[in-house]
Amino acid sequence: MDVKLQGINKSFGNVSILEDVNLLFPSRKFVTLLGPSGCGKTTLLRMIAGLEEVSAGTILFGGREVNKLAPRDRNIAMVFQSYALYPQMTVRRNLGYGLRVRKTPPAEIDDAVERVARILEIDHLLDRKPAQLSGGQRQRVALGRAMVRKPDIFLMDEPLSNLDAKLRVTMRGELRRFHLDLNATTVYVTHDQLEAMTMSDLIAVMHKGRVQQFGTPEDVYSRPANLFVAGFIGSPPMNFLDGAIDLGRFKVREAALPLPPLASGVAPGLDAVIGVRPQDLSLVDTAGSDALTGKVSLVELLGSEKLIEVQVSDRKRISVQVHAATQVALGEKVHVRFSAQSTHVFDKRTEQSLLAEAAIGEARQ
Amino acid sequence: MSRFSFLSSDRAVGLLFIAPFVVTALVFMVYPIAEAIRMAFFNYNPLRPDLVSYAGMSNFEFIFSDPLFWSSFGQGTVWTLLSILFQTVFGVGIALLLHRKLFGMAIFRGMLLFPYIVPTVVIALIWRWIFNPEIGVVNYGLLSVGLIGEPIYWLSTPTMAMASTIMLNVWKYTPFVVICVLARLQSVPLELYDAAKVDGAGAFRRFLDVTLPQLREVLIVVIVFRTIWTFNKFEEIYLLTKGGPGTSTFNLAVYSFEQSMASLRLGVGAATGVVMMIMLMIGSVVYLRVAGFGNEEKEA
Repeated sequence: MDVKLQGINKSFGNVSILEDVNLLFPSRKFVTLLGPSGCGKTTLLRMIAGLEEVSAGTILFGGREVNKLAPRDRNIAMVFQSYALYPQMTVRRNLGYGLRVRKTPPAEIDDAVERVARILEIDHLLDRKPAQLSGGQRQRVALGRAMVRKPDIFLMDEPLSNLDAKLRVTMRGELRRFHLDLNATTVYVTHDQLEAMTMSDLIAVMHKGRVQQFGTPEDVYSRPANLFVAGFIGSPPMNFLDGAIDLGRFKVREAALPLPPLASGVAPGLDAVIGVRPQDLSLVDTAGSDALTGKVSLVELLGSEKLIEVQVSDRKRISVQVHAATQVALGEKVHVRFSAQSTHVFDKRTEQSLLAEAAIGEARQ
Repeated sequence: MSRFSFLSSDRAVGLLFIAPFVVTALVFMVYPIAEAIRMAFFNYNPLRPDLVSYAGMSNFEFIFSDPLFWSSFGQGTVWTLLSILFQTVFGVGIALLLHRKLFGMAIFRGMLLFPYIVPTVVIALIWRWIFNPEIGVVNYGLLSVGLIGEPIYWLSTPTMAMASTIMLNVWKYTPFVVICVLARLQSVPLELYDAAKVDGAGAFRRFLDVTLPQLREVLIVVIVFRTIWTFNKFEEIYLLTKGGPGTSTFNLAVYSFEQSMASLRLGVGAATGVVMMIMLMIGSVVYLRVAGFGNEEKEA
């Protein structure tokens, strides 16, 4: 079932939480609401669940308006950050609670609970209480409670944030697999861009109550629509340099860096910001107009790669990711080369992308 | 090892630190209880301290064969159970209301403490005026709206006197229950309610399946404390009805007082106290076991 959000606004008193959110989550897709804390992503999820009222706008499930429907009438299921398992009930009763409330015959409840418990490999825990389970097991029970009712829409609010790092990686894969098995539309909230990138079909990047960009993980990574998205997505974060556009090149200090094709109508001399990911920069032996020169101020070994910080001016450092075998010494003078096709250009004032293909992408939306 | 080294050891310093508590507890807790138990086995008339004699079990034999002891026990049990029942029901209900986030709720929460703060003697005297059949405001109000045709003798018929003492106790100590429950309510995770809503539970189901289980432990503790305090309660009954009319509102505390002070049988009064203590100890332990207090922690 697809989920359509039309002109959604939300405010608490005078404080505006969400402004003019328009999104379409296609049926059976895994969609992630991604953003820093306080961006409104959880509020938006709770509005889809019916736990929070909509101040203005319309929420449609498969074309049907659900604004006034109670959570129980929306056929949704939700996994909470704290799991919210009923502490006095056994795992079996936790899993079957939604069905019991809906007066499903006991035999059917038993079947559904056993089936879900088998899928999640928690069938040996059915008679325990939540307090007797590990974090990962609780997480599975919470998932199971959501799966047991076969909902149309699956909502998850940072479900992995209470797990340790290793388990989180395993669960990412499992969540994705369950999503494919369940055939439901999944809306997933996280502040972890890696989670969003690895699991999603589509990502809505949110900031200050607005959707900054909505697209595939590939889109938001390779074609960030604005400075916020560019800086938020990617690790290590993107380098930004201030300068001006001049004859299709980017003037910063002595260099004139090459730029990809810009959107039409970009005025010459416009103040701009370019962004380049550390992975897209390279160290070269000779200086040139497409390179900035500086001294190595920090070398971090990441494993198979090295992250090198180069001081290109008094106040500006840029980081370059190179192969771990590259030998660089602290204080060494290096040249950092920029390449046109991996450079992102943003208007310094509006912070919007100035790239030709970003403009096309926006028009498509 | 020399004597000096023990005095300066950590052990000696530790003993020094706990000594004040141990001494206080011995003087103010252990000694009075021990003295009461001792006195239960003696004949002791405070006006004739020279005639103290060992009584063996005769004080206990006396109370167990005294019909007034048994009727006091029965009335005390009724008064305790009904008081606790109403306090718990009202306490939970009021706590749920006060838990709502409404404008001005803080004022109501503050007012709530009022009955708990006012000294019992003041309350009891005011209630005696309120319930006065001729000039009391309750009868005046009921008569003037026509709910009753003639004055009700609130404190002078056995049933009404018992009801009045229970009302006073409920009125005064419900705030205690409210405060305990309210504190617990404020720490119930909100996500549990959200989860129950998504699961399809209506307001009543959410109360049964989320709120009540979370209140379980605090209610067990509150009920134990209130039971002990109420069963032993003396001043409310004595100040409001003096145990009357007749002996219809006697509980064991009033019985013990009457035996000690009016009949000058301190040994019998002490024996009553010992019996009450044993009853409450057995009752509390059985209740905590049956209610399963602390089981959750043990399982975890």
